[in-house]
Amino acid sequence: MQVTLKNIHKSFGAVDVVKGLDLDVKDGEFLVLLGASGSGKTTALRMIAGLETVTSGTIQIGERDVTNILPKYRDIAMVFQSYALYPHKTVFANIAYPLTVRKHPRAEIEAAVKDVARQVQLDTLLERYPRQLSGGQRQRVALARAIIRRPAAFLMDEPLSNLDAKLRGYMRAELKHMQHELGITTIYVTHDQVEAMTLAHRVALLDKGVLQQLDTPATIYNAPANLFVAGFIGSPPMNFLQGELIDGGFSSAAGSFGTRSRATNPHAVAGIRPEDCRVTTPELGKFAGEVFATELIGDHALVTCRCSGSNVTVKVEKDFQRGIDEKIGIGFDEKALHLFDSQSGSRLA
Amino acid sequence: MNTPPDTRPLMRRLFERRSLDTLAPVPKFATYAILLAWTFVVLFPLYWVLVTSLKIQIQVDAGPYYIPFVDFTPHLDAWNFMLFQNNTLWPYMNSIIVALTSTILALLFGSMAAYALVRIRFQVKLAAIIAFIVLVIGVIVAVVEFAVPWQVAILAAIVLFFLALTSIGRRFKAALGNNDIEFWMISNRIMPPIVAVLPIYVMFQHLKLLDTQIALISTYTAVNLPIVVWLTRDFFAGIPLDLEESAEIDGASKFRVFFTIALPLVRSGLAATFMLVLILAWNEYLLALFLSNANAQTMPVLVSAQNTTRGPQWWYMSVLIVIMIVPVIVIAAFLQKHIARGLLIGAVKG
Repeated sequence: MQVTLKNIHKSFGAVDVVKGLDLDVKDGEFLVLLGASGSGKTTALRMIAGLETVTSGTIQIGERDVTNILPKYRDIAMVFQSYALYPHKTVFANIAYPLTVRKHPRAEIEAAVKDVARQVQLDTLLERYPRQLSGGQRQRVALARAIIRRPAAFLMDEPLSNLDAKLRGYMRAELKHMQHELGITTIYVTHDQVEAMTLAHRVALLDKGVLQQLDTPATIYNAPANLFVAGFIGSPPMNFLQGELIDGGFSSAAGSFGTRSRATNPHAVAGIRPEDCRVTTPELGKFAGEVFATELIGDHALVTCRCSGSNVTVKVEKDFQRGIDEKIGIGFDEKALHLFDSQSGSRLA
Repeated sequence: MNTPPDTRPLMRRLFERRSLDTLAPVPKFATYAILLAWTFVVLFPLYWVLVTSLKIQIQVDAGPYYIPFVDFTPHLDAWNFMLFQNNTLWPYMNSIIVALTSTILALLFGSMAAYALVRIRFQVKLAAIIAFIVLVIGVIVAVVEFAVPWQVAILAAIVLFFLALTSIGRRFKAALGNNDIEFWMISNRIMPPIVAVLPIYVMFQHLKLLDTQIALISTYTAVNLPIVVWLTRDFFAGIPLDLEESAEIDGASKFRVFFTIALPLVRSGLAATFMLVLILAWNEYLLALFLSNANAQTMPVLVSAQNTTRGPQWWYMSVLIVIMIVPVIVIAAFLQKHIARGLLIGAVKG
């Protein structure tokens, strides 16, 4: 079912955590709330769950206004970062809990638990206690407990962040597949942009309680709405050059180059991703600088270049060999250039 | 992964369990000597009570005799008298019923109160409390001095209370929080019981409940409630909030969360609290002395009654003390396995 947030505000005393959040999650959509810590993403999720009251605004699940409704009447399931398994109950009782509290018949519960346990490969562990399980298994118990009831929406609060890197990648794929199979609206909170980009149908990027951009991962990456989004998404982050724009010509201390824009703006920022840059000879580059450091990552290397006070990182081949302080030019395709207003931060056409 | 440095507090490291085998001979000998001495201090009174119960008057008066069959010939006279001729069983049953019932009630209400104090934020208006106290005094004065029928007085007080809530409530913002409520509860325990005994006696006299188990049970429950709240509060505070929130989302009511999630998780703490409160109720003397007579008499009163005009009857007293100690030991043994740590392992984190 769709989940709709209208102008949600939340303050804890004098601190405003969420400021006028509007979200429209479509039926069956996988929406990721992305942001650094303190961005208000977890608070937003907890308000949808009903674990926090809203200061103002309305929340709808389906057609129903649930703003002031207790969590248990919202028809949702939540997976916590800590998994929140009941340590004194077996895996079976943990998974069955949402049905037992709703007083479903015993036989039905047993069948349902067996069914979801098979889906998450826990069918042999039903008699164990959470303390006897590995991290990944605990994670799967938490998932099974969420899916057993087929709720209107899943809420997930950084469910993968306690797993080690290898397991995290595996569970990410599992989660995506499971959400596709079940087709249940999912709202997923994370601070990890890789998780956000890979899992989401749409990403909502939050900063200081304000929604920065809500769009597909591709659009967020290819056309960031403002400087914050541009700097947050992408690793290593986008390079920024301060300068001015006169009839589409950009000039900065590092160098001047033409753009596809026709705009004029005395306070402009040019942004270019490391993966869109290439190293050339100083004469051929759009601007030039000296090699500051090279870092071999594995399948590629990163060159950081000093260009008149600004550092510019370029992604290069792994066999790249240049000495420190050697002068190089940096070139890029005009299509890959992003232009922003440095004062408002918004994207220039 | 390399092991992290030992960051545990110093006291924790000092008192960590270490094998006696790893100690040098002199500290090892000293350790054993101290342990033996302490064991003697702890066990000798028990032993002394046990052997005294096997003596007759002449052996106590002429003593001290320490070892049965060697020092003196043991007799079962005191046991025979106390178990079969004297009416001991009745106070014994009273003690069991009163102590168990009051402990269970105190634990039930106390843990609910403690849970509420941990998880729910209360803001009681100071004005409301003052209005309540003033009205209670008003009702008492009206009924006692001016012979107003008590039904009328209480009804009037309730109406006035709600009127006061809606009017003064808005003017005076001062409110009491959870800490104040908790302190108030514990402060009930600070007052010496002897101060409260006479009013309590008069109250039960008017209720015509003197010398009944109900009087003792309700008094003990009230007296032990603060201890339960105080002890269990920290256990509840130690439960990760995620667990309870998860249960709430899964569809459980607050009561259900309390009984199926919170209570089972603190059962080791509850077991310890149960033991402590049970012993307090089991050994209680002062209130029992005032509130009970023949019908509801409990064991501590019976023990002290052996101090007769003919002098203390040590042999009878010893028998009573021995049979008083036994059930406590049995219950402690049963609860032993529940008083264990590490119950929360596996609840959260990987």
